[in-house]
Amino acid sequence: MAKKILVVDDEPDMVTFLATLLEDNGYEIVTAADGEEAWEKVEAEKPDLISLDLLMPNKTGIKMFRELRKDKQTTDIPVVMVTGFGKDDVPQMDFKKWIQERAIRPPEAYIEKPVDKDVFLAEVKKALG
Amino acid sequence: MTSEPPSARPDRHVPPGPKRKMPSMLKEPYQLVRRFAGSLSFKLSFYAGLIMFLALVAFVYQSIRSQERDLSAGMVREALKDSEVIKAAIWDGMMTKDRRVIREIVKAIGLGHGFEKIDIYDRNGLVRYSSHADPLRQDFKTEREPLLKEIGTNTLIRHRISEDGQWIHVVNPLVNTKSCSTAACHAHPENHKVLGALAIKFPLTEYRKEIYRNARNATGLAFALFVVISTCIGLAVIFLVNPSIKKLQENAGKVARGEYEPQEPSRGAGEMAELSRSFDAMSRHVHRRTTRLAESRRMYKSLFEEVPCYLTAVDRDYRIVRANRAFREQFGDLVGKHCFAGYKGLDSKCDDCPVEKTFADGLSHRSEHTWLLGIEKAYVIVDTAPIFDDEGNIAEVLEMSLDVTAMKQLQMELERKKQEYQYLFAKVPCYLTVINPDFEIGQTNTLFRRDFGDRVGQKCFKVYKNRDARCPNCPVEKTFADGLSHESEEVWRRNGEEAHVIVHTAPITDDEGKIISVIEMSTNITEVKRLQSELALLGETIAGMSHTIKNILSGLQGGVYVVDSGLERSKGERVRQGWSMVKRNVEKVSELVRGILYAAKEREPEYEECDPGRLLTEVCDLYEERAKAEGASLKRDFRPVMQPGPLDPAGFHSALSNLLSNALDACRGADAGGNLVTVSGRVEAGTLTVEVTDNGVGIPGEVRDKLFSKFYSTKGSKGTGLGLLMTRKVTEEHGGTIHVESEPGRGSRFVIEIPLKPAQEANGLRTAV
Repeated sequence: MAKKILVVDDEPDMVTFLATLLEDNGYEIVTAADGEEAWEKVEAEKPDLISLDLLMPNKTGIKMFRELRKDKQTTDIPVVMVTGFGKDDVPQMDFKKWIQERAIRPPEAYIEKPVDKDVFLAEVKKALG
Repeated sequence: MTSEPPSARPDRHVPPGPKRKMPSMLKEPYQLVRRFAGSLSFKLSFYAGLIMFLALVAFVYQSIRSQERDLSAGMVREALKDSEVIKAAIWDGMMTKDRRVIREIVKAIGLGHGFEKIDIYDRNGLVRYSSHADPLRQDFKTEREPLLKEIGTNTLIRHRISEDGQWIHVVNPLVNTKSCSTAACHAHPENHKVLGALAIKFPLTEYRKEIYRNARNATGLAFALFVVISTCIGLAVIFLVNPSIKKLQENAGKVARGEYEPQEPSRGAGEMAELSRSFDAMSRHVHRRTTRLAESRRMYKSLFEEVPCYLTAVDRDYRIVRANRAFREQFGDLVGKHCFAGYKGLDSKCDDCPVEKTFADGLSHRSEHTWLLGIEKAYVIVDTAPIFDDEGNIAEVLEMSLDVTAMKQLQMELERKKQEYQYLFAKVPCYLTVINPDFEIGQTNTLFRRDFGDRVGQKCFKVYKNRDARCPNCPVEKTFADGLSHESEEVWRRNGEEAHVIVHTAPITDDEGKIISVIEMSTNITEVKRLQSELALLGETIAGMSHTIKNILSGLQGGVYVVDSGLERSKGERVRQGWSMVKRNVEKVSELVRGILYAAKEREPEYEECDPGRLLTEVCDLYEERAKAEGASLKRDFRPVMQPGPLDPAGFHSALSNLLSNALDACRGADAGGNLVTVSGRVEAGTLTVEVTDNGVGIPGEVRDKLFSKFYSTKGSKGTGLGLLMTRKVTEEHGGTIHVESEPGRGSRFVIEIPLKPAQEANGLRTAV
């Protein structure tokens, strides 16, 4: 049975790209354009993995990630973070550091834009075990 | 040739004798005699003896004269007595009329002891009886002998001593008596009072001899006394006075030669000892004075030689009479040369010559001169002082020249440093103030005065920060306390503007190292701060931009993949979907590049007369579709034809587009449904007002301040931070203003106001912005 992956990104082009890529590689796809929609999809669809954009309107990726980890039902869902920000770009938005400081289990993978499709697929595969 | 030999020196008190030539063989004895005659012992003994001698002689003379008087008086008494006796003797003979007898008696008496001659005259002057010759002769002496005059009448007994003093004559008148006139013998008439006279002559030879003998004896005695006394006095002088005098003489000689040795004070009494003591005291005094004088001279000489300045004595011809060692070493031996020629190389006296002044007024003068020592310029201070001769005239002038070149150079250096310091103080491009311990401003520099005015004497905290009390953490106070420099960063608010300032302090100390004031240097770093924050913004913007670019790249990449995927699977819909992704992202890149170029490049605005209504319509048309797609309504609140004005259509178009885009973005983030963007425009009193209002998310207060700064974006991955900056730039190019009114959650309103002016004027505006 195909694994179900939730793709969350406020950029429609990015959603189309990642969804098409994952679909072509045999995954079942659910999409969301912001945090609130994503949360609804998580509860409704119970995805096996979440590809999460870090910066979004209406509940950012960071907030979303924290709630996912806090919720017992969702805490084990592997998360692949996709973001345009590297720590070199904006030091105060160093997500990895933020994670370390709060003793939260880090995301299973961390992919920087522009997304290399092979690396992305490899990370997704690895995260799904 | 002088007649005074050197040996005569001690006898200086003897006036020198007449200068006359004399044989040299006589010279020696003559000098001896002179010396003897001039000696004190001779003078004293000779003159004292002489006086004694003359006194004795006078006494003897007087004594002989009185003796003579007594003797002659005795002789007269004797003669008168004898004449009475003779008269009595011959009276008897007359009475007896025995003329012979009378004659015999006369002769007999006449022969007796002590008589020279006895004559008896009748009243007619005829000698009747004589002890020598025959009587009755007419003795001629009766005529000449004054005693015999009036022989017939004079009844007085009279006498006379002969002119040669050898004889005494006595005349005793024979007075007529009763017996005579009545006698029968020869009958003298009664009326004849005097009958004749008895004249007796006594020799005085014997007693004169006695007188002379006495006189001789007395004179001899006087002479003997004179000799004895003179000898005694002479000897006394020689033995008692001369040694003391000799000693005084010797000492005087020594004193005169400057060979004085201290003497044992004379212990004796009396005038000589007193004199000796006085002389000794005087000698000591003279010696002390002489020694002091010699000492002064030595000191003067040594001072003159060794003093470390140039010393010369100059006479009235301006010739150097003396010069000290410093002078000789510097200029060589110039004694006898003109002072101006010597070391100044001039042909005539210098102008403003202090020596000349001192010769004129006898006072000291000081002046400063510049000499050329070789090729070196020397600064010299010249002092002059008069040197007087014995009569009080100015004989020479002492010229003291002190080389103060080093000092002068230091002084000039100091002056230069001072000027540099003052220049630096005045021109340094920060506020400089000197603060005293009471926190009052002492000195200020040019920049300070320009920005704060003349605030000397006012409290620093009042002037700088408009405070009424000292600032906390005051660096000036710290410097006063520890003497070190301090630094603090402060914010001043003046005239409603904020200024960031770095304050440095440094102590100013007096000679003893005590801190008398503190210098405060305040550098305005507002501009630096502004640049700093702009840099930080730039950093953020670049990060944001790189994020945008990454997103676009991802979009392109995604589009390409989706096209490929569609082609591989022959899914036409997927190819179209991928291709529109590619096109959209290419368009995004173009828009970004345009924005960057507009923000970074100085674009030349091009004004032309155009209708703002037309421009507004164009832009609204452009965004109509997007608004519809995003579920927002676009309301046009302007007339499509308005009063035209000079506008840069391209710039105006971009600015309006940006505002509309922003408004739609703000609405997209808000609740869906009921979103409204209103574009209004009007021209009133020559001013174009354009308002873009939305009911979107609104803008928080702290963001509003940064809104028009470069590269500020509120839109995270979606914005470039260039939009409003560009809008403001265009507005200001048009001489207009832009401002924003906003309430978070309720929406925002951007207002642009542009004065519409003729095209030429508007083109001129550009350069003014």
